[in-house]
Amino acid sequence: MTERKYTASSIAPRIEEFLRTVFAGGGFDLEFSIADARPGEDDVETPDVLVKFTGADVDALLANRAELLLALEHVTMEMLRMPSEDHSRLSFDANDYRLLRIEELRLSATAAAEKVKRTGTPFRFNPMNSRERRVIHLALRNDTTIRSESQGSGPSRQVVVYPAGMASLPEPPPTAFVPRGGDGRHGRDTRPRGAHGEGRRRDSGPPRRGPRR
Amino acid sequence: MKQLVEDIAKALVDIPEEVSVREVQGEQVTVLELKVAPSDLGKVIGKQGRTARSIRTILGAAGMKLNRRFTLEILE
Repeated sequence: MTERKYTASSIAPRIEEFLRTVFAGGGFDLEFSIADARPGEDDVETPDVLVKFTGADVDALLANRAELLLALEHVTMEMLRMPSEDHSRLSFDANDYRLLRIEELRLSATAAAEKVKRTGTPFRFNPMNSRERRVIHLALRNDTTIRSESQGSGPSRQVVVYPAGMASLPEPPPTAFVPRGGDGRHGRDTRPRGAHGEGRRRDSGPPRRGPRR
Repeated sequence: MKQLVEDIAKALVDIPEEVSVREVQGEQVTVLELKVAPSDLGKVIGKQGRTARSIRTILGAAGMKLNRRFTLEILE
């Protein structure tokens, strides 16, 4: 990443005030520390600022593929008015989830590449956010016998791996509802979607594929 | 929980004075109706609804601690 744009000393007070309010209001038992990230902590992406959580509710934070951790991170970045291109500059973590997840994604990428080479057919990953898709693309960038691209939009955007010469498949039609997280764990996503166009889920219904985790 | 939604929304918008939340108790579910200035609607919804979804996730996790389900409705 290029030079530092955010520092703990410049944004920590606002993050701290915001998180304390949210934790008090939501009854979350969590502590956190905010620090400048040391370069080299992670060779895929080094954020400018790292917020690490500890406490009794860390499990809740990391449940459903760290759904709550990522939600808090997103809302905090919006609160700070960070433009979306800066969103990798602030990272929330607990129990080294982020690092482990990157390792997991790299392994999945390798397994997917092997499968595509062996079978000659494309492989569709489960939907992921942009940071995770980036890890997959990076992991596969030096393999010239395959190519990867992202398809779909919003929460259902997913990486597809193709044999190098194969044309892209059409986008899967929006059909069945795929629970968020799509990783085989049961989602408890029973909330009604707003009727005002927000969060419209064009969840495509490809058969669940991708390495079981 | 009403306070939680109100605090988050106020932190996100340009005009915090126009944020209001109404709590409607149901049998199973408590509905929280969030109202913001029309110009701030995009701030609480976010691109692809991501911010609204994040607020719902936080609300859901907080609700689990209370064994109660909460639904967020953003009023236009």
